[in-house]
Amino acid sequence: MKKLIAAVGFALGGAVAAASEGEPIEVTGEIIDTWCYYSGVMGGPEAVTGSAHHTCAMWCAAGGIPVGILAEDGTVHMVVKWEGDADVADGVALLDVQSHTITAKGTAYERDGINYIFVEEVLEDRGIENANHEDFGFVPPFTVPKAVREAQK
Amino acid sequence: MKRLILAAAMAASPALAADFSEGSKAKSWNLTGQEFATFDAKATDAICALTGDCPADCGAGKRQMVLVREADGKIVLAAKNTQAGFQGATWDLAPLCGKTVKVDGLMVGDDPKLESKLYQVQLIGADGGDLKKAKGFTGPWKARNPDAGGKGPWFRRDPHVQKRIDETGFLGLGLEIDAEFLQEEYGE
Repeated sequence: MKKLIAAVGFALGGAVAAASEGEPIEVTGEIIDTWCYYSGVMGGPEAVTGSAHHTCAMWCAAGGIPVGILAEDGTVHMVVKWEGDADVADGVALLDVQSHTITAKGTAYERDGINYIFVEEVLEDRGIENANHEDFGFVPPFTVPKAVREAQK
Repeated sequence: MKRLILAAAMAASPALAADFSEGSKAKSWNLTGQEFATFDAKATDAICALTGDCPADCGAGKRQMVLVREADGKIVLAAKNTQAGFQGATWDLAPLCGKTVKVDGLMVGDDPKLESKLYQVQLIGADGGDLKKAKGFTGPWKARNPDAGGKGPWFRRDPHVQKRIDETGFLGLGLEIDAEFLQEEYGE
């Protein structure tokens, strides 16, 4: 019976996957670290975006954690290609745009509750517009090394 | 037959999420919406699962990785491994590209815009072997960054991140704004 259930599951899952094709998309949003955004490990969603969380977002991107585009409607598009390149988890590819607000065009896929995007071209890069460090400080608080903190005194 | 109907309903409707917690030995990280989840799945990269563009090595750690769950065929995005320091799961899963693996970990998140949770792989096994901790990031990182010396965790020594901090500061807004804010936060 287990095999039969699995077969039914695979059949239905496969049917869902096959029916969902990529669609052209143009999206404007902020480049974010999706793990911190969804997991709450560093605080609420507002605190893990923008300048407050910029360094942590670079750490996560360098670690290969999925990077997303947080669109204006709240949808997060998981970036699996960047300007046509599949090596988005190489630890370098997405560092320069962390926390930036961009407009990009590419191909969108929705599969099993996750939105993925293949970014073909960045149409506009407005830099970091979400300057939320005045509200949240550095997130996480250990962002700045102790030696740098103490040098301020 | 009831179980068959239930399985079909779970596969067809994201609203009826399946429970994969039975037998999980994953540890709680007290994360938002966390659910224990252990299952068998095919390890592959996201682009392969979405389009059929499937390199034999799944991108060797450089492509985002997913798990195609055996029980229902759903694609689960593997976002994190078990190391506590900003490490993803690509370097743990890519070596197992194309294999059926057994994983144990946490499904995470409860954002209403996110219909499926992200997965943290804590334990992973293949070919019927014992499950081992998913902590495969550090070795490949050291190999890619042989000159990243000094003490402290990898993320403080990563040359690519440090270069950008040196150029635009911890806030990314430029060194002048950074210096003002550092003084505001930590000055006396």
